[in-house]
Order: sequence, then C-alpha cells, then structure tokens
Amino acid sequence: MATGSWADEEDELPPTRIIDNKDGTKLVISYKFNEDNKKVQITQKIKHTMIREHVHPAVAARRKWKKYGAEKDKPEGPDLSTTQIGDPVQLKLSFNMKQAELEEEEKQKAEQKSTTINVFKCRYCGGEHFTARCPYKETLGSMSQSTASNPPPEDESSGNAGGSGGSGYVPPHLRNRKPGEASSGGKFERDDSTTLRVTQLNEIVDEDMIRHELFGNFRSIQRVNLVRNRETGKSKGLAYVAFATISDAERALEMYNGKGYHNLILQLEWSKPKK
Amino acid sequence: MRPILLKGHERSLTQVKFNKEGDLILSVGKDTVASIWYSFNGERLGTLKGHSGTIWTIDVSEDSKLAITGSADFSAKLWNVETGECLFTWSLETPVRRVEFNPYKDEILMAIDAVMGFNGRILVFKLNKDNLSEQSTEPILDIPTRKDFVKAMIVGYSYGGKYIVAGHQDGVISKYDAENGKFMASEKIHEKQITDIQFSEDRTYFITSSKDKTACLVDTDSFKVLKTYETDAPMNSATITPVKDFVVLGGGQEARDVTTTSAKQGKFEARFFHKVFQDEIGRVAGHFGPLNYVAMHPNGSGYASGGEDGFIRLHYFEKHYFDFKYDVELTANSSLA
Repeated sequence: MATGSWADEEDELPPTRIIDNKDGTKLVISYKFNEDNKKVQITQKIKHTMIREHVHPAVAARRKWKKYGAEKDKPEGPDLSTTQIGDPVQLKLSFNMKQAELEEEEKQKAEQKSTTINVFKCRYCGGEHFTARCPYKETLGSMSQSTASNPPPEDESSGNAGGSGGSGYVPPHLRNRKPGEASSGGKFERDDSTTLRVTQLNEIVDEDMIRHELFGNFRSIQRVNLVRNRETGKSKGLAYVAFATISDAERALEMYNGKGYHNLILQLEWSKPKK
Repeated sequence: MRPILLKGHERSLTQVKFNKEGDLILSVGKDTVASIWYSFNGERLGTLKGHSGTIWTIDVSEDSKLAITGSADFSAKLWNVETGECLFTWSLETPVRRVEFNPYKDEILMAIDAVMGFNGRILVFKLNKDNLSEQSTEPILDIPTRKDFVKAMIVGYSYGGKYIVAGHQDGVISKYDAENGKFMASEKIHEKQITDIQFSEDRTYFITSSKDKTACLVDTDSFKVLKTYETDAPMNSATITPVKDFVVLGGGQEARDVTTTSAKQGKFEARFFHKVFQDEIGRVAGHFGPLNYVAMHPNGSGYASGGEDGFIRLHYFEKHYFDFKYDVELTANSSLA
C-alpha cells in the first residue's frame, strides 16, 4: 500500500508520532485502517514506571551466569518446555478449616451413599454389594434361579431374549437352566425346531399383531420375538415365532409364506440356529 | 496465586531446595540429573549430569557456589553451581540418602543407607575449599548406627553446628555431638519412618515429618516435642515458614497406592498449619501425586513443592497470606503497641 501508484497515495497512513508530555507520560499517535477501510487515529497515553529491585550483589551476579548442561546455549528467559505458568490455585487461610472440611466430607459421603444405592444392588438379597459377593449366594441364589426357570414359558423366553426381563442379565449358557441340572453342552439349550423366521414384515406390525392378527388362528404360539432397532425401538421387519409343535409350525409356514400382510409379501422360513 | 510449573525432571522429585538468598532452586529426582532454576521466573540455569542412579538429595553451600548431591549409585558428588561441572566424587559402599553442608564450617554431612549387609552410617567429611577437586575420602567423623537403633536416613546440623540430628526409620530421632560424634540423646516421637527434618531459621528447633501422618516440632536442646500436627495422610516433608508462624506439610497417599485412588482422594495437597495453635488453616492443591518435598523461600514470600508426578510447583503468596492473623495475635500486637 505504501509504494502504490499516485492514486493510492491518499490512502497512505501518516507516520506514528510520539509526543513526550511534561508529566513524564508519552502520547503515541498512530493510524490504521479499520474493517471498513477507513482511516482511524489511535491515541495512546503511556506511562513508563521503572521498578528498581534491590538484590544482593551475589544474586545479581548469579543472574548473569551462563546456562549449562541441558540448557546450554539456550536463549535468555524461561524455556516454555520446562517452565510454564500453572492454573491459578487458591490458598484461603481460615481458622475453622477443619470444620468446613469435615462438613464437606460428610456431604460427599452422603452423596456417595445415595449413589451407591443406585449403582449396586444385589440381585439375590437386594443389599448394597455385587451379586457375586452376596453372602447368601448359596442359599438365595439357587432359590431365585429355580423360580426364574418356572414362570410361564412365554414370559421367560421373551424376557431373556430381549434383555428386558426383570432379573437382569443371565448369560446364555445359564438360561433355562433348572436347579441341579449340569451344563448339558450346547450353547443354546432352547429348542428352535418349532421356530419360524418371519421376514418382510411391515414396520407398523408389532408383537401383538403377529400373535393375534397374523397367527390368530394358531392357539399354540409360545413366543413371538420381534427384532427392533435398539435405539429407536422401531421394528426391523423381522420376527421369530415359536409354536408348540412342529406340525403347527409347518402349517403356518405353508399358509403364510409368500402371502401379503400389511402391503408386504411375507417370507417365512425355518429358524436356523446361530453359529 | 498462579504457580510456576518447573518440568525439568522425567521422574518423581526427591528433594527441592532454595539457596540462602532464595534466588536459586536446586532440585533432584529419580532421574539421574539435578536441575538448578532461577526462582524469580522459573528459568532453568542448567543441569548437573553425572550420576547413574536416583539422586536422593542435594544441598547448596552458604555462598551458593558449591552444590553436593547424594545418589543411589553409591556416590556423592561436589559441583560448581556456576558452571555445572563436577568437582569431586566420593565413592561409598551404600546409597547416600541425605547430604548437608555445615553452614558454620567447611564440612559435609552425609547419611548413608543400610543395604546389602552394610550398616547405615552418618559421615562427616572435611571440605577442602583451597583445592576443590582434591577432597579427602576419609571421613573425619564416622557414626555407625547404634546396635539398638535402626538406620537413619535423614540428618541435619543444629544451631552453631553443635549437634547432628538424625531421623530414623522407626520414628526415633537421635542427637550426636558434632565435634566427636558422641551419642547424646534419643526420643521416639513417631510411630513410623521419619521422612524429613527441616530446621527453623536459627536452627534452634526443627520439624519432623513421618509416614505416621503427623509432623512434630522439636526443640533441639531439650529434644522434647513442642507441637504436633496431625493429618490424614502419610507425610513426606515439612517445613517452617519464615515471617509467618506457620508450618507447611507435604505428602499424600503412598506412591504405590496412587493408581487405586483418584487425585481428590489422594490428598496430594500442601497443608498449612499454624505453628503455635496447631490448627490446619489452609491447603494448596495442584499435584497429581504425593508431595515428596516442600521448601520455603528463605524470605517467606513463597514455597516450592516437588511431587511424585515429576513437577515442581513454585508458589508466591498473595497479600491475604501475609494479612492472615488469629484474633489473639491481633490483640496481642495492639496491646504491645
């Protein structure tokens, strides 16, 4: 901008002026262009104060020492890699610090207690510890397991598969286990031979509709499990339906495979065990 | 207040010290290099390189020209503080846990550890100031740990260089005549290991810190506990503040337990106690690990703490600190006037 053509000359900035005042302050007048490209005058009043620090002559001499070791040949002044300014810290001196602290600690403890109630709850006895550490594990544990395997089959199976059952997570190999029954090998002990896999379901179809509308004339439906999106809860158009007998399942497969339901053509097949 | 962070060490700090005028800070840690800093802006003057093991301790002479370090590599080294060169090396049979210049005489005090069947000892060497690179390796005083005592890892000179005071592993303090090394007194004041002894300005009394979560103010002559400061964590260091009647304690959860606790629970704070009333009056947080050493600026304007986290935090107090007084102190002063 400074060495432009004569047409630009008007846009040149006047040089900065420094005026020494009588009272020891300095007036600095400088110019610059603001955002709208207009010339702006900046007037700053500056006062210099010399701070003279009296130090021991030895201290003054030590400040002139040359750096050595890892700092050798480094420029004067603190190196940011070794010297930094930390975040401000508070030192509030008070007489009753202990009391205030005790109060705070108690508050914290109370808070902690209230959170632990929410966090830990034994599934056997309801106490504030991990289920695995329950002192009544031996006695209560087997009881609750035997009750868990007894409720109506429909409830149990949908609860276990969907994870929405009341008693929390049960690992697959422990599901449906009867008390005293040793692990009988297979990954899934559930018998899937009577289960049909129903795909191409309309999104609006829910479990009740499958049970009562679609397969309404089959009395022997044991379990309907509609696969849903974990987050939105929307149906993925896929369901597993278990019948009481193989013949019922066969009948349903023949009846509905390739038939229309809520504007979509259903596809039914035998459920394959997971690998 | 905004602390200045000095990040010159790669491992935890073991000792941080000011020189007599307070313009230099000397720090040593578990890495093998000592650092020297300017206290007014935190600039590093240089490093002292030469040891091959953890440096446990450092001290600086009264005129700030010489420094001495004691290391786990079984040696102590004498350094020129201005140039950073090593002037002399003492080879010892065990690690050196504490070194100190005699502020009144040309002598060096060392406490050496008891390991590998060797007995812990307190040694005094003559400092040859005429030819610094030629030092005697024969101690002028050799005080082996007494049969009924466990090893002492902390030592210091009392007023006038009259006594040598030692802090033992089992919480006992003992006192020896600095002239001939004769045992004079002992007192069990702590339940556990004594981690630090720092003297008052005039060296007539000192403060001890211990793993038993307390610190004690002890009179050098009578060897009686004057004051006790109780905390809730093992203490690694304690110091007496000049100007104000406070003491500063540093410590925290044991290093090996740190990973199992959060920073908040670890109690990694410098604690301020009133020296006379024994009340805790304030805390300064900031370190991520236990404080291994706290040192006061000799003019009382600030303090530095070296932590297990490898940082030195240098603090300068604000006005509030100097204005703080108990009501009793205020009335006592006004009645005097």
